[in-house]
Amino acid sequence: MSTMRLALHRIRLPLAAFTLEVDTEITAGITGLFGPSGAGKTSLLDLVAGLRRAPSALIRLGDRVLTDTAQGLSVPARERRIGYVPQDLALFPHLSVRGNLLYGAHGKEETNGNGGRFAFDHIRDLLDLGPLLERGIAHLSGGEKQRVAFARALLSSPRLLLLDEPLAGLDRPRRERILAYLRQAHDDLQVPMLYVSHHADEMTALCGEVLHLDHGKVTGQGEPGA
Amino acid sequence: MNAAEWQVVGFTLRVSAFAILLILPPGLAIAWLLARFRWPGKSLAETLIALPLVLPPVATGLLLLKLLGRRGALGAFLHDRLGLDVVFTWRGVVVAMAVMSLPLLVRGARVAFEGVDPRLEQIARTLGATDVRVFLTITLPLARNGILGGTLLAFARALGEFGATILVAGNIPGRTSTLALSIYQLVQLGKDGEAFRLLGISAAIAFAAVWASERFLARRGPR
Amino acid sequence: MRKSFAILLILTLASGGARLATAAELQVFAAASLSDALQELAAGYEKSSGDKILLNLAASSTLARQIQEGAPADLFLSADEEKMDGLEKRHLLLAGTRRSVLSNTLVVVVSADSTVKIAAPADLVAKVRVLALAEPQSVPAGIYAKHYLKAQKLWDRLIDRVVPTENVRAALAAVEAGNADAGIVYKTDAGNSRKVRIAYEVARSEGPKISYPFAVVANTQQPDAARRFLTFLESPAALEVFRKYGFLLAGGS
Repeated sequence: MSTMRLALHRIRLPLAAFTLEVDTEITAGITGLFGPSGAGKTSLLDLVAGLRRAPSALIRLGDRVLTDTAQGLSVPARERRIGYVPQDLALFPHLSVRGNLLYGAHGKEETNGNGGRFAFDHIRDLLDLGPLLERGIAHLSGGEKQRVAFARALLSSPRLLLLDEPLAGLDRPRRERILAYLRQAHDDLQVPMLYVSHHADEMTALCGEVLHLDHGKVTGQGEPGA
Repeated sequence: MNAAEWQVVGFTLRVSAFAILLILPPGLAIAWLLARFRWPGKSLAETLIALPLVLPPVATGLLLLKLLGRRGALGAFLHDRLGLDVVFTWRGVVVAMAVMSLPLLVRGARVAFEGVDPRLEQIARTLGATDVRVFLTITLPLARNGILGGTLLAFARALGEFGATILVAGNIPGRTSTLALSIYQLVQLGKDGEAFRLLGISAAIAFAAVWASERFLARRGPR
Repeated sequence: MRKSFAILLILTLASGGARLATAAELQVFAAASLSDALQELAAGYEKSSGDKILLNLAASSTLARQIQEGAPADLFLSADEEKMDGLEKRHLLLAGTRRSVLSNTLVVVVSADSTVKIAAPADLVAKVRVLALAEPQSVPAGIYAKHYLKAQKLWDRLIDRVVPTENVRAALAAVEAGNADAGIVYKTDAGNSRKVRIAYEVARSEGPKISYPFAVVANTQQPDAARRFLTFLESPAALEVFRKYGFLLAGGS
């Protein structure tokens, strides 16, 4: 399995109802971030992706320091090589599926240091996107949109992939299918994932480790089902 | 319609278009700053930009005249160092039109930018895009209809500009005379028939511009 | 006590009423060049007569146009005969009230701090890049200036440098502000401004015949008061004021 070491130290971010405080390290290939709605999960993802700043944070991915407020250091989002599939997918409505997919691709095959191959053809086939390429975003079903958002993030050759409730709003058969795609992509491309959800069964099905978050505090960390 | 009248129409269209082209870059930049950020002095900036919309146009014209006249703060520099005159020249017409229509452009563009989901811009950044690329490939295309609508409205405003123009550029036949100024002149001279001809052309152009503007504004929204 | 108070009150009202019965409000449409002289004369007239004078000062062409369109004017004081002719043709003047009262002189002015020397018409061509005139198609001062320049055979060479203004005072303002190198205005306008100096005066023999006709407008609601004011304007006392500001009398000094 691919490994990663995501260090989240001294994180303190005041939110509306509470303060997000996290100090831990994540090493599993697919780590779940589990908790009720409004527990601060999305905010934590935004911090890791560099879309948000906290008064205090030290974030390190592998050997690379991404954020260190003590040193006044914050690597801009565009340089972090962290893919993000947000809750509302944020597909670009004015581009076709192909346009969306290629937005973050750099034109040549790249690796993420774990031996994964992020070629366009490969990922297209991995997620069965061939027939959809020339369609506009508005003409996709829910499940198709999930796959496009997922593939778009993958095609930017990320070293870490953040997924915020990727199965929300899907019925059971489709969730199973997307879960299968996620597992397969992870195995094939060796990209570590941080997977947010408030469904326990998804955690069990996918994750090697689960971080429990409630009201901004880590309330548990370990094997799923624990 | 005779040659002189066509000259006036052509001149008016040219200087209006030039004025709009001039205010597009700063106008879009200001609109984007107003739409996306909070900064100290923002309210003051918003009010200053809106002033030409509510001040009497001649008041704005007077301010511009004082500023750009040969002895004015800016005009003296232009005249003495660069040999450029603004007052009583076509440049004065362009400046008057630009200042009077800038608020309309900023308003339209700001609303257009505010209508673009910031989440899309954020995701684009995670995909490796620089701020410039995000602006050009995500923000601008999605704000396009609103911006076009605002631009056309600003263009229509520039075409009809009178109060500031007559003070800053005067009404010099063949050199600074626009449709609006010509109509006024013809009325002064008692040539109502010709005045009505030019009025008709003015109205037709303004109608087309505003109609197109409304079409674009109607096409805004999630696509 | 109450009775004497009542008598006092009635007497006051009666005397006030007597004044109110004759006091009129006159709208006087007058050429811009008459501004300063008229303001002084109007102030004096209001005190002595009790009538109120409201001045509408603009280019004679603008005023004539307004009167044609039905603006409520009682008197029209024009800077040239042509505008008055236009109204007379349309029967807009009260018969028998038209008379030519004043004349004026044209001068070439430059900014008070200008170092350019202009002493003769030829200097206009040689040294002036921007020449301010009142609109030469309609405003009397501009028409007079154009006649002068045409007579000097300089009009065609200067026409591209001319900045036409709304009225003669606006031409003066352009020279004052330094936005025009020189201007042709009335001597009376130049005399009122400290920010310009006269480069040279157009000799009467070389200049056009300038004439200021005055008349009562036919639609006036108070013809008597209007006639009274017109008579006042022709009185020796008023003419003295006009002369003080630099006006000439019609047809002579």
